[in-house]
Amino acid sequence: MKMTPVAVVLGSLLILGAIVFMVVYVPYATYDETPSEIFRERTAEEAAGRKLYIANGCVYCHSQSIRTIDWGMGAERIAQAGDYVQDQPILLGSQRTGVDLSQEGGEHPDDWHMAHFINPRYTRPLSIMPAFAYLGDDLEILTRYVQGLGFKQADRRMDRQRYWKKEAIRAYEAGVEANARWLNIDIVPEGWRNIPNPYPTTAAGLARGRKIYQDFCLGCHGPVGDGMGPAQPWIYPPPYNFTILKNRTISGGILYYHIMNGITGSAMPYFKRELESQKIWEVGNFVAVYFINQSDANAAPRGIDSAWEP
Amino acid sequence: MTTNATSAPPTYMTAKGFTLTAGFWMTVATFMGLLGATELIAPDLTENIGWVVFGRVRPIHVNLVLFGFVTPGLLAAAFYYLPRILRTELFSEMLGVVTVVLWNLVLIGVVVTLAAGYTQGREYAEMIWPVDMGVVLIFSLVLINFLMTVVRRKEPMLYVSVWYACAGIVLTATTFSLGNVIWRPDTGALVGIPDAILLWFYGHNVFGLLLTPLAAGVAYYVIPRACKTPLYSHTLSLLGFWSLIVVYTHIGTHHLLQVPVPTWLKVISIVDSVAMVIPVMAFLINIWYTAKGRLGEIHNDIGAKFVFTGTIMYFFVSIQGSIMALPQVQRITHFNNWVVAHAHVGVLGFAGMISLGGLYYILPRITNKPLFSRFLADFQYWMILIGVVGFTVVLTIAGLIQGNAWYNGETIYRVLPEIHMYYITRASIGLLVFSSAVLGLYNIIRTLYFNPGEKLS
Repeated sequence: MKMTPVAVVLGSLLILGAIVFMVVYVPYATYDETPSEIFRERTAEEAAGRKLYIANGCVYCHSQSIRTIDWGMGAERIAQAGDYVQDQPILLGSQRTGVDLSQEGGEHPDDWHMAHFINPRYTRPLSIMPAFAYLGDDLEILTRYVQGLGFKQADRRMDRQRYWKKEAIRAYEAGVEANARWLNIDIVPEGWRNIPNPYPTTAAGLARGRKIYQDFCLGCHGPVGDGMGPAQPWIYPPPYNFTILKNRTISGGILYYHIMNGITGSAMPYFKRELESQKIWEVGNFVAVYFINQSDANAAPRGIDSAWEP
Repeated sequence: MTTNATSAPPTYMTAKGFTLTAGFWMTVATFMGLLGATELIAPDLTENIGWVVFGRVRPIHVNLVLFGFVTPGLLAAAFYYLPRILRTELFSEMLGVVTVVLWNLVLIGVVVTLAAGYTQGREYAEMIWPVDMGVVLIFSLVLINFLMTVVRRKEPMLYVSVWYACAGIVLTATTFSLGNVIWRPDTGALVGIPDAILLWFYGHNVFGLLLTPLAAGVAYYVIPRACKTPLYSHTLSLLGFWSLIVVYTHIGTHHLLQVPVPTWLKVISIVDSVAMVIPVMAFLINIWYTAKGRLGEIHNDIGAKFVFTGTIMYFFVSIQGSIMALPQVQRITHFNNWVVAHAHVGVLGFAGMISLGGLYYILPRITNKPLFSRFLADFQYWMILIGVVGFTVVLTIAGLIQGNAWYNGETIYRVLPEIHMYYITRASIGLLVFSSAVLGLYNIIRTLYFNPGEKLS
């Protein structure tokens, strides 16, 4: 074959044109623009927040694309083409240095996001996300965008957050006694309240619990468990002070239930995706022994000793 | 291939300009990489300095590596070899110098706009519309210079390097305009899933239709020249050239295998990703058989040494790329540092190595003096080789940890401490590569302007 300038330039362009038609134009022309069942239009504030999300490069660490093989944040719903019909540009992302945000809306209340944006390590001590305090008042707008991720599902979760935020504030403002009763009796199912921590408080177990506390809890509840962690100024009702709980019959089960399920409305997240059962029990033991100074570990009622117990 | 005796000796002003451009922006680009890598291990180091937040540093790093370091380096070599292969003068050194100046202005525009948060938010297509226009303009100016030189050639045959240089620029100017949706200046994007398909069609073609053709052009020039032997096979050149354009352009959707895009499109992208073996091996067999038995010659020329190493990296990155396009493999490798490792083998190991090789090959020939320091160039060679291999090992391990952990139910937050040590190692290697860029820039400047060496005959 004789290669002439015309063959090189026009030949390349003709091939390119044919392939663009096939792999770009045909998918574009046959794309089904039907919105998915969770879809809704973004509000003006959410759209403005999305611009901030783009301007600050959030897309380089956060995907918005849940796959069939995912377990983590948002994995209750696999992405559909109809979720993206108003996205220009689409923000699928190519890396997950942080969590997928497709369904982030309503996972946390607004005040948690504010503390987290001011410095992500305030709420998540191991995070490597940059601090975004420099955005100032724009953080509120960015929060609106994040809280809308998941569309109608996010709206349902946000309604739930707002309802329970009111309840949590009412309990907190009713005083220490009323708040302790609400937190530890009213919102914990009876069965959980009666379960002592089945893990004995060994030195090894407490050391493990301490590691979990440092990695997950310290930002809000603070190094001495008094609720004065670095996130505290942004959070209302403020993070709980464990040191007032002595002689209030706080069972291991109550602690487990709250750590597992979170306290929706308050900034307390659920940890059931991140911590397996043993880790939750042992961080509960750590809190009970070091901050409450009272532990029901391995107390009755108890069944058969587990095979691993000394 | 001697220059025409009747005309004045060529000044190579354009080649020199692109050499300096590549040398300078390599230091900035690698520094941005180092900065981003450091922020991943010490996120509060640059706390609340908005214009160097990680999400802005990363696109600056990527765009500067692609358009500031690798492409200008490859163009420097092309501006040297095109007139020589075609037995003529460059169409216009003046136009070339104007292109270099505009090119640098565009790069300043890239840094300033991205640092200030002006971005279209699409990977590899971040630049906003005015900067996009600048990119289209400079590629068009390069194209005019290339094609007019071809038109005025005295050598009737077109050597394979000429095909690659011209096609690379034509196809990139086209796909860049398409991929950046330049007919929509306000967003530079389509809507929904088609935007992702177009974006990755374009994104992958930055490698497939810009870096790969230009790097192949340099390799096809430097290796036979350094080995003082004809190219192994014209037929393989043809096969490699046309199959590259046909196959590479099909594969962008392999970035979207886990996304709701049409299944037939995924199938095309997977099949063609595997078929990439054809253009890759056609090129490599051609180059390697040309060099067969002449590795000593390659070793003697630091430029050829860089280029040849680049071809070996091309082998690894391409075979890896074909395997990574398999859906079963992507369950583990998608969304994590495995892909970052792959990108570094491709852009630094393959295209970057060949870009530097082209520079070091042409520098003595455009200055008519030996390199200021062969030792420094060799030292830089080893720093970059260790750097690329180091990035690959460290980031691949980190990616495997992430991918396997996620696939088996571990959350992202829990895996962060598990990869912390690898992030530290990666940043250390980043320091090595940045240092090598500084050494390289020093060597380039000394060779061009403050070179005590004797004139070559």
